[in-house]
Amino acid sequence: MDSYLVVGIIIFMMIVFLLMGMYIHAVLLASGIIGLILLEGFSILPGLLGNEPFNRVASYTLTTIPLFVLMAQFILHSGLVQDIFYIVHKLSRGRRSLLGTLTLIIGGMLGAVSGSGTATAASLGQVAVPELRKHGYSGPLAGAIASAGGSLSGIIPPSIILILYGVATETPVGALFIGAFIPGVLVMVTFIIAMLFYYRREAKRSPAAAEVQAEIAAAAEAEAQEEKVPVSRLAVSVLMGVVIVATIFGGIYSGIFTPTEAGAVGSVVGLLTALLLGKVNLSFFKASLTETIKLTGMVMLIMIGAQIFGRFVSLSLLPRKLINLLEPVMDSPALVLLLISAILFIMFMFIEGAAVILMTIPVFLPIITALQVDVLWFGVFISVICTIGLITPPVGLSVYAVSGVTGISSGSIFKIGMGFAVFSMIVVCGLMIAFPELATWLPSVSSGKG
Amino acid sequence: GGETSSEDAASAEGEKITLRAATGLSPQHAWWAGGMEPWMERVTELTDGQVEFETFVSGELVAVPDEAEAVENGTVDIALILPIYQPDQFPMAEVTMLPLSHSDTMIASKAWKALLESDVELQDGKTFTELQFDQFKVFPISTTQEYSISTTGKEFASAGDVKGTSLRTPSRIHEMYAKQTELNSITMPAVEMYDALSRGAFDGSFYSIADWTGYGFQDLFKYTVTGINFGHFNSFIGMDEDKFESLPENVQEAMEQATEEYFEDSAQIWMDRSEEVMKTNEEQGGEFVDFATLPQDVQDHFNEGIENTWGDYAKLLEDNGLPGTELVKLWRDLMIEQGGEVPQKVKEM
Amino acid sequence: MTTFYKLYGYFGVLKKIGLVISAVVALIMMFFITYDVVMRNVFSSSIRGGFEIIQNYMMPLVVFPGLAYVYASGVLPKMELLFAKFSPPVKRILILLLVAIEIFILILVVQFSWGYAMDGMERNTSFPAAGTLYQLWPVFFTIPVAFALIVVENIFLFIKNLVEKDPTFVVEYNPSEEEQIINQAVK
Ligand code: NA
Ligand code: NA
Repeated sequence: MDSYLVVGIIIFMMIVFLLMGMYIHAVLLASGIIGLILLEGFSILPGLLGNEPFNRVASYTLTTIPLFVLMAQFILHSGLVQDIFYIVHKLSRGRRSLLGTLTLIIGGMLGAVSGSGTATAASLGQVAVPELRKHGYSGPLAGAIASAGGSLSGIIPPSIILILYGVATETPVGALFIGAFIPGVLVMVTFIIAMLFYYRREAKRSPAAAEVQAEIAAAAEAEAQEEKVPVSRLAVSVLMGVVIVATIFGGIYSGIFTPTEAGAVGSVVGLLTALLLGKVNLSFFKASLTETIKLTGMVMLIMIGAQIFGRFVSLSLLPRKLINLLEPVMDSPALVLLLISAILFIMFMFIEGAAVILMTIPVFLPIITALQVDVLWFGVFISVICTIGLITPPVGLSVYAVSGVTGISSGSIFKIGMGFAVFSMIVVCGLMIAFPELATWLPSVSSGKG
Repeated sequence: GGETSSEDAASAEGEKITLRAATGLSPQHAWWAGGMEPWMERVTELTDGQVEFETFVSGELVAVPDEAEAVENGTVDIALILPIYQPDQFPMAEVTMLPLSHSDTMIASKAWKALLESDVELQDGKTFTELQFDQFKVFPISTTQEYSISTTGKEFASAGDVKGTSLRTPSRIHEMYAKQTELNSITMPAVEMYDALSRGAFDGSFYSIADWTGYGFQDLFKYTVTGINFGHFNSFIGMDEDKFESLPENVQEAMEQATEEYFEDSAQIWMDRSEEVMKTNEEQGGEFVDFATLPQDVQDHFNEGIENTWGDYAKLLEDNGLPGTELVKLWRDLMIEQGGEVPQKVKEM
Repeated sequence: MTTFYKLYGYFGVLKKIGLVISAVVALIMMFFITYDVVMRNVFSSSIRGGFEIIQNYMMPLVVFPGLAYVYASGVLPKMELLFAKFSPPVKRILILLLVAIEIFILILVVQFSWGYAMDGMERNTSFPAAGTLYQLWPVFFTIPVAFALIVVENIFLFIKNLVEKDPTFVVEYNPSEEEQIINQAVK
């Protein structure tokens, strides 16, 4: 069959399947398989369908997915996050806008030990939102702060998105991690600026309400004095928090282990942390491991689907045709990049981040290569967009997670979250296009290639 | 639009043939850029455009080392096959990785071509190619440049320095050699190597100098021993035998002719690249040390390893019911014929 | 439907066993890699062939045995925006259609991955690590088995939606804390 026609049919089918509510992995598998059959007939299937599931999964680099998730699970179930937040709360007493800022910074720091934005957002929602509300933040703003803070895990290394991109494009994951550092901090800074803007606006609009909130806060504070967390426990939490971050980054940068191995070492340190904090028992293992296997299975099933879909995309020669189509504007890479970012931003609004990366890489990577855009830069760039997509409606997993734990309606969080997202998107992506060195400079320095 | 009409025009003339060609390697790799790509262009030229190739590189369709399987099951028609990566399927292909006293890309490539075309019956009346690659139509291309030992700084001042050095080993033969010489072998995916090496996770690797640029090693290695040779990685352009037989005679001839025409060029590109890379590496503070200038105990240590590895490999094959001794002797003779050198004990095998 | 749920209960045991295998291998992998890192740094020797063993044995055993459990848990993402707006009868028809498509696709995966495993057995597919060959093909069989279990799960799901009125994407919903939270928020 004519490949243009096949591509048309398959794109239409994908949209219908997605809207019908088919699982993402099944959309990819079904579109890929049906596309291959239309293009080549059944004879192509044994060679691609038979071996791809094994080949996709049997990868040393991908051990990072189960192991970084396991590390995050161990840390979350150890109670470390709650303890650290308790300290932050104490530190920022009396300076209300500072608490919001610190929450976002904590989000960024948690990002340094967690690979998954959703998990971090859920735990921030649990511990940060009540505190923020006590200090006069409205529910939606508090929810947006927790969601945004949690989403930072998507870009601040280690990040599952960066790992997936590295694997799919054969870009060294370590270099991606280092490259994502400055843009990750930039995203955090833009979130803080947006937060301060919304906070001031709220304070102006209803100063009286804020007063009342503050009074409640003072009362709550007095109450909180009663339920003190023992200092020794806090000391252990802080110490272990520092140890985890130092182990991972120190280990990677000093050459004790590779970024891939960091997942395993980090998990062991996470387990030790939970042991020290007295949280290890059978249900600790059950909860941590079940979540790990679930998330791993989910990501790998989508990856298998994406792999088969990718084979269809390759055989249809779609990327080459797109490049031909884009020929008139290929001379202005900025324009093509703008177009690609817009498409990705919209896709990240609707679909889970990892799935988008895996779906679009077969199409976009050849274009990026043809444009002679740095593959590392592009990986960091789309990870930024992906991170921001975690707080945009209608599918924003960070917001759902926060809304779930706090009971604040997701719609009201999205209203503010979208503001955070648009501001951050324009500033960070604009800066990255204007100054690509923001992503490429650190990796080049650290590898001595500069 | 345009594509369909040209297809129609061609089918009116006779038969236009589009072959799907693939490699898991990058398009800059010497085997593709200097081997298979010019070969395909020449085939298209020789057939006046009757044969065209639709190419997939960098694992877009087939990843390393699945190319052989992809050709067999018809996912692609033709591919750059790297049999050393699959010692379970092609146990005898590793023979070119046996260490030597001297050779270069040209010598090894000619010997490899001669081995693939050899009519010496090794077992049950079958030649090397019949024993290993019976399902393929084989078009030889060059081997890689010889493998060297390079480190990020560790030097070999005595045999004691060699023992315990951790190197990445790319094949079973290097594993055997490492065992013989008490080197520690590290296995690691190539994409992770730069990172791990630059942060000092291990000392170095067996690698061919011309291949360094693919992973940025020209900036990383500081100490390389030349003048001793840890084998040549091999490859060939493989096509399904039945598919080849089904092609018109003129196309078959064009393919054979292109192989003959481009074979030596495909080896030369490695030699040229190696020179460039060595220059860049020296500018970056890299050092190339001739084996003959190393202390005698180091030389003896390495040489002893070479001699024993030949025997070990032959024995490994024999243990699996394959003509190991016959094969290594044939390889030794072909290498010597092309100007290569082996230690005395190997000559006496 | 009592028999149905009883059968589904037995099937659940099978999925749980798979989950336990995956979980245990994940823990082993964690310790194995960490041990390797320690050995390399302290004694400058690594586990010979460790990387290949992790890649070829452990990764597939972390992913495939637990896959049917993962599938049944309802964790897999989909777009629910439009779906949520349909009336229950329309939802039911849609689910039946989606499940049927998925069964068709999964059967193809089972068929061809089975073929691949059989072929591997015939060729005695192995991988080289530290100079020796390790048999690889037995691992291949985890794939058709995993996908066959997902087909069975889908058949249960199909029957349930056929017989019962409430349209559902999972046969028995036991969401985790985090999922409960998220699902609540989506509503
Ligand atoms: Na992170
Ligand atoms: Na979104």
